[in-house]
Amino acid sequence: MTGKYHLITYAVAFIIILALNFLLPRMMPGDPLTAIYGDEALIAMTPELQEHLVERFALDEPLWQQFGAYLGALVSFDLGYSYYYNASVFSVIIGSLPWTLLVVGTSLVLSTLLGIILGIESGWRRGSKTDRALLTGLMGLNGFPDFFLGLVLLIVFGVVLGVAPLSGAVTPYAGLTGFALFLDVLRHMALPVAALTLAHLAGSYLLTRNTMITVLKAPFMLTARAKGLKPGSIKYRHAGRNSMLPVLTMTGIWLGRLVTGALFVELVFAYPGVGQLTYQALLSRDYPVIQGVFLMVAVSVLAVNFIVDMIYPHLDPRVRHAY
Amino acid sequence: MKKLLPAIALIVLAVSLLAIPACGGKAQPGVYTIADETGDWGFPSPYAHYSRGPGYVRMQFIFETLVWKDADGFVPQLAREWTYNEEENAYTFTLQEDARWHDGVAFTADDVVFTFNYTKEHPYQWVDNSIVAAAEALDDYTVKLTLSRSYAPFFQDVAGAQPIIPEHIWADITFPEEFLGPEAVIGTGPYTLADYSKEHGTYLYKANENYYLGDPAVAEIRFIKMAEEMNPAAIEDGSVNSASAPAEVAADIEAAGFSVITSPPSRNGKLTINHTKEPLSSVDFRRALAYAIDREALVQIVFRGHATAGSPGMMPPTSPWYNPSTPRYAYDPDEAARLLAGLGYTLEGGRFVKNGEPLELSLIAAATYRDLGQFVAQQLTDFGIAIDFQTLEAKTVDSKVGAWDFDLSIYGHGGLFEPSILTRTIIGEGFNSARYEADPELTALLNAQLTEMDAARRKAMVFDIQELYAADMPALTLYYPTSYWAHDGSLPLYYTADGIAIGVPIPLNRMCFVR
Amino acid sequence: MHISLKREIKRSHFGQAGLALLALVVIAAAIAPLLTAYDPDQQTAASLLAPSADHWLGTNHVGQDIWSQLLYGARTSLAVGFGVGILGLILSIIFGVSSALIGGIYDQIIMRIVDALIVIPMIIMVILVAAYIRPDLFILILLLAALSWQGGARVIRAQALSLKESGHIGAARAMGAGRFYVARRHIVPDLGPILLVEFIYGVRRAVFIQAGLAFLGIGDPMLVSWGTMMRDAMSFSYLNVWQWWLIPAGVALSLTIIGLTFVSHAAESVLDPRLRGEAVA
Repeated sequence: MTGKYHLITYAVAFIIILALNFLLPRMMPGDPLTAIYGDEALIAMTPELQEHLVERFALDEPLWQQFGAYLGALVSFDLGYSYYYNASVFSVIIGSLPWTLLVVGTSLVLSTLLGIILGIESGWRRGSKTDRALLTGLMGLNGFPDFFLGLVLLIVFGVVLGVAPLSGAVTPYAGLTGFALFLDVLRHMALPVAALTLAHLAGSYLLTRNTMITVLKAPFMLTARAKGLKPGSIKYRHAGRNSMLPVLTMTGIWLGRLVTGALFVELVFAYPGVGQLTYQALLSRDYPVIQGVFLMVAVSVLAVNFIVDMIYPHLDPRVRHAY
Repeated sequence: MKKLLPAIALIVLAVSLLAIPACGGKAQPGVYTIADETGDWGFPSPYAHYSRGPGYVRMQFIFETLVWKDADGFVPQLAREWTYNEEENAYTFTLQEDARWHDGVAFTADDVVFTFNYTKEHPYQWVDNSIVAAAEALDDYTVKLTLSRSYAPFFQDVAGAQPIIPEHIWADITFPEEFLGPEAVIGTGPYTLADYSKEHGTYLYKANENYYLGDPAVAEIRFIKMAEEMNPAAIEDGSVNSASAPAEVAADIEAAGFSVITSPPSRNGKLTINHTKEPLSSVDFRRALAYAIDREALVQIVFRGHATAGSPGMMPPTSPWYNPSTPRYAYDPDEAARLLAGLGYTLEGGRFVKNGEPLELSLIAAATYRDLGQFVAQQLTDFGIAIDFQTLEAKTVDSKVGAWDFDLSIYGHGGLFEPSILTRTIIGEGFNSARYEADPELTALLNAQLTEMDAARRKAMVFDIQELYAADMPALTLYYPTSYWAHDGSLPLYYTADGIAIGVPIPLNRMCFVR
Repeated sequence: MHISLKREIKRSHFGQAGLALLALVVIAAAIAPLLTAYDPDQQTAASLLAPSADHWLGTNHVGQDIWSQLLYGARTSLAVGFGVGILGLILSIIFGVSSALIGGIYDQIIMRIVDALIVIPMIIMVILVAAYIRPDLFILILLLAALSWQGGARVIRAQALSLKESGHIGAARAMGAGRFYVARRHIVPDLGPILLVEFIYGVRRAVFIQAGLAFLGIGDPMLVSWGTMMRDAMSFSYLNVWQWWLIPAGVALSLTIIGLTFVSHAAESVLDPRLRGEAVA
């Protein structure tokens, strides 16, 4: 796929997201200002501010002019103002973002790596007891939704055994610094990361295993074996490396899944990330925040997918020449 | 197999991290930790805290009012004494002379006058100061507030709720909601704000050693964010000193040696009735509804006993304003059927029918009232009135009710302390009021009681209001929820009489934290 | 080449296990009234009871029988799952086949939209919409179907494209067969195995998402569903009731999803690697 194809596709996706964000509040019955800003807003807004906002977003103009005003605001990173938090949506999201990146990033790396390793081992031993056990086990694990896994982990380790913290990202006001703080953060993210990793392990595992099976049949593998190379080298340097390519293409999609998984997991563990933020915004119908999160998440996922698509041809020469 | 070792090692490492003992988990002496489910209630300045009760609670550690309340009633705060002049409708407050702002500047009458003038242009979200016609400093420590007319709830609604802000800081602030620096939280209270984190939902207060009314009891107060389900475990292992206790485990926590205090009824759940449309416009019909709903069973089933059955006069039975002769409408389906028969309904095949049309009503409520709504719908349906129950977005319910586009709805509110709540929620405007003006005697009483300064006469009026309201039944109070608060006993927490300020039923009165 | 997909699935171990699990859930849902005497909506004062002879899984916070809720909850999950699966499949067929046959600008536009929608996480879009419109059962099925046909459309289009080039289609067209006729009589039937696989993916995704949404509190709170049960149970996790309230609901949900996963795995292994790379489940 050429760069242009991807660019157009992602541009279309971006426009769909914007359109959705734009149209939804305006399709709701009633006053568009309430629909856009939510309930708290009208209590807090003075009449002058309301007039100002109506003018700024052209709320009394025809729809296409409103869209123009909306796009104009976005270009200046104005994602709106949350009257519930009394702060700009952008700043509210940025405050929670690092924690989500921490948990999601760690889970993505762990689940992908672990899945690849297990997938390679499984594919290598296809049909054996180990393979069947791993396959059944991981597909079974995959059936457990992340929020259920999270809840079980929290109850078992947090409530019953009492070894894990019950909420938060750090122990509040404990005055920890340096290594102690690092450990504290690790303790608080252990369960959320565990839940996310376990729930999404099967994706990379299955893909790697399947690709491994196909690759193992290829002629170059026969050559490698005939050369007398050690099994470890064959497995990882020859077969494994080729199995990783499909995994790379799926990274973007898996990131999307992990982000939505984070929504549930943060809620269960009261972890102060973007997922928790979204849930609170949902409860209070803080529309600017909901929209802001949606926009940021969708754009990030798009961006990652785009980058992966750009990198892929450089890693797999076969693809480059096909187009 | 060798290559699986890294994977296994990773897992073992991850699990062993959990085994690291907790650092900083247990409560330390001199530090009082309180858990809260929401966490973030806004920056604790008067103009930035979120407009719900817990927001005010965060602010009241720092900012004080002219008068305050403890467990029994009104007590002096920034005002030592006060007198009331009936002809002029004016209060004269004698102020404390050794109170200081946290930055060392002395507190004087000028700050009070400034506050009441400033709030004319920048209203404080919780207090309607329009009743104050003039504020005048008679000398450095005496202030006179003249009201535009007599107003019985003045102390509850204004003098006991309006935080006094320092003139030397706020005089130049034109956008108070955006004033969020350390200077914005300079007050006279027993604690100062050391830290606030919006994302983590945490607050840290440090003791104000120069507090004029006593010594702060603890060196630090910390608010941390925790899901309510986790409170019992946190209280029992000592990592939290106090927190709300879920009803089911309140008894267990007490048995484990902790203190559990019970809130007096202050909030309610009501069945709002659209009395402007048939058949609900008939008083007998509304009374039938009241007889047909078993409120005692409601308390047992929906709240597992952790509530009190509602009194049709709205004021709860534990309130000093409660009229014991208020009609109770005890569960009596036969009486309800008799009332409906009198209106022309006959019972056919388990359903009430009139002119060939079966009786059917719609009930709308926000999703939080799902269980309650199902109970009411089931009761009325079993009785013979088919109910179509729908949960909708809270805002949608509010706007439908506001526009009279409903039959029945469920709604709840607090503030059941000061009888001004009766006036607000019976004849007030807005969707949370019954907006019932069909009874001129009731309307007159509701207006008069606000300006009646004689306590005995006012009480008599409030008694009459309850009887009339119950007889007219424009809305039915279903229940008063009970809530519990658990703590380790290190500080004598209590539920403030008539709630903190305008009626916040949270037992975190700043005076509990002062010796 | 005609592989009998159904026979292959029944022969594989995974297929058997998966079908058994699904059968369990479907039958339980179907004969629910026979398996319990209680109405899952009936509130009673007998709340938060432990399992007993009267209440096999105890009762919840408003005295409703948990076993009944589990059984009737299966109906909700299956109804949404299969509703979305079928509707999504129909949309996939329509868009996939028409793109393949019509080609040109129409094809380009549809495929752009498809690729764009695949990338955006579905749950996030559903949450956004649900924040504005509280969906009841029907609207939820429509909404989920509208956001889940894309993956299938891509696969079906690819298959339809290759079928289009095959001999017998060319012959039919040469004899004057219209495009719709060709689609109906030649292409769709040959898509059989792929359709089944896409259908199962769709059902699985829908079951998961409906439970997730119910867990978040979006969607109709009056519908008995496993997600709502887990949400209610979560707020009482400090009491020792999770063992018979939270766990059964979570396990039931997981078993249903696992059953669907096993069956789809069996189907995939039969159909070949060309699909595996594209599969987005």
